[in-house]
Amino acid sequence: MRISEIWNKLANPKNVPRLFAAILGICLIIGFIVPMELNPDQLYSRPAPQVQVDEGLNLAPYDRGGVILKEPGIIQSQYPSTTPYLGMITSYVSPIANLVSVISPYFGTSIYSSPGGLIDEVLYYTRGFDTILESSILMMAFVIASWLAVNFTMNRKNDSENIKSDVKIAIDKSKKVKDEVDENNRKNHLKQNRRDN
Amino acid sequence: MDISSLGGDFLGIIPLGDIVLYLTPFHLFMCVVMLLFTFLICISKTETQVEASFGKLEDTKVSVGLNEFKQRRFLSIICGIATAGAMITGDLFNFTLFMALIGIVNIGIVSAVKQTSVLNAAYQYGLIAMMCSLPLFGGAAIILASTGTLSLFELSNLATTSAMTVFGALLLLIGILGESGVAPFFATKAEMFRTPGSPFLVIIHLSSLFVVIRAIEILLIIIKVI
Amino acid sequence: MLVPEFVPGIFSSMYLPAIYAGLIVGFIGLMAIAMEKRDIHILILTDIVGLAMLIIVGAVGTDLAEALILPGLVVELAEIMAISEILISREMHKIESNKKKMPKNASIFPLPLVLDMEIMTTSSNFLALVLIGYGVFLTGFTGGAVAGGGVLLYVISRKSRGLPIFVFDGISGVSGISWCLWIIGFALFFIAPNLWLLSLTLAACGLLMKVASKLGLIGILMREEFKRE
Repeated sequence: MRISEIWNKLANPKNVPRLFAAILGICLIIGFIVPMELNPDQLYSRPAPQVQVDEGLNLAPYDRGGVILKEPGIIQSQYPSTTPYLGMITSYVSPIANLVSVISPYFGTSIYSSPGGLIDEVLYYTRGFDTILESSILMMAFVIASWLAVNFTMNRKNDSENIKSDVKIAIDKSKKVKDEVDENNRKNHLKQNRRDN
Repeated sequence: MDISSLGGDFLGIIPLGDIVLYLTPFHLFMCVVMLLFTFLICISKTETQVEASFGKLEDTKVSVGLNEFKQRRFLSIICGIATAGAMITGDLFNFTLFMALIGIVNIGIVSAVKQTSVLNAAYQYGLIAMMCSLPLFGGAAIILASTGTLSLFELSNLATTSAMTVFGALLLLIGILGESGVAPFFATKAEMFRTPGSPFLVIIHLSSLFVVIRAIEILLIIIKVI
Repeated sequence: MLVPEFVPGIFSSMYLPAIYAGLIVGFIGLMAIAMEKRDIHILILTDIVGLAMLIIVGAVGTDLAEALILPGLVVELAEIMAISEILISREMHKIESNKKKMPKNASIFPLPLVLDMEIMTTSSNFLALVLIGYGVFLTGFTGGAVAGGGVLLYVISRKSRGLPIFVFDGISGVSGISWCLWIIGFALFFIAPNLWLLSLTLAACGLLMKVASKLGLIGILMREEFKRE
């Protein structure tokens, strides 16, 4: 194949995602050759699975120490110096969540603790900026999708036949409901009259 | 390479918990230029394309309606702010999220047009943007696993680069190439331009230019070959 | 054992299998995309690639990784929603320009879909109320999703069709205001650190209202599709 043909193929947008997918797939294969291992010195490390459950902790598997509103929990963040109240959110759980954790050993099976708890500390405080960006991405996607829906794909202002038939269906339905209600009323009246007599 | 040899003298940091934004003359300049351009876009109006008709003497004017204009302006301002943020962020995962935001806003700027060819290009670009979440977030996660940190300060202080970190950086590079539409993946982004509404469309191009420059700096910080 | 100094051995030993699984899943998905011809199939296949990303992020196995999964998941979800809407509008433009005829190369046709489930007519209000109540009790992102499910059920089960722009604008307004609430909460964390409890509540409630209203908007859009006859 001549190089000009390749350029022409590349200029067609339909081919670009497929080319990208192929290149990315080949690069993923490199990952099998490269030696990989987990660095044991990680931030926010957590205990091994089931350890906290076996120890019988109330908040297992999310118990990170601390006393509610008094002592901060243990949390290994990147820059503890810039966050003076680090760990307070980790040790805090809402009153309802606290109640559940006292009366039930199955607290960890549901996400009761928020607001408060370890994940909320990471999501709102130490890495809060990430979550803000993530929700902005969601918001922009909604702006795009709903703008298209309101102004184009579901806009029926110009489609008068469709509106007419819909109105007809709605009238029919409400008529049916009205007839049913009338019929029921009549029956009940008859019943009542019979009872009275 | 370390941060000051890439960006110049260290001016200061903006600490937001684990995510620390940092300022050097290089970053500050890029951020301010981007914000200035965003301001210019805020106050500008769209162009009207004039198409010559075949066999007649009249021209047809292709202009942008008010509703569409507002949508586009909003999305381009968001795109400008996101690019300015990507210039000064000091966290790897944060940077990838900024890239994802720029990608989706770029699609949004052209999503309101009526030409099917442009919509097709936007759709194909959207597919690439979706696939890019694997190399971007996956690459950042592999770097996190091998070094134990996501902060660019800590990454620049590390003495050596392991093969695994290089693999993570390679994935990151592919993600950036795809998301910003660098060759050979340029066709989708180039086709998206063929529609009226010029100043807003320019930011699609400008944001990817700036992001590529910043991405090269980040890759140089991560990989210590030089 | 509350928090270990280093990552426990089980995470280190499971890292390699996990990341290999992620790479294999990603490779299969990407190769399928490279070979597939139809646009709608490619869109569905990109979800597999997103899944591979979640596996690779989750393989790190720390609390940080658990928190990082959420942005990845949301980005995938947001992009697939926006792009599928663009695909629909592209196909509709194609059909319109071909004078309402089905073009040969169209990959999807926006077909009407009648969803007739008993749950929508019997106790939809009660179920919606229960879901919203439980969601408010949970707060945060999960709470928002649960409460939003309630709003979605309530909105879909309404009888008449027609896009209520007024309601739509109202719900999106609530969503925007709650986003601002959250930003204020986030700023307060760093301006006044001693008000962390207030900031936490602001952020959690903002996120709850935001996610719930977003799902409500999906409900309004979907009703338009379901009730078409």
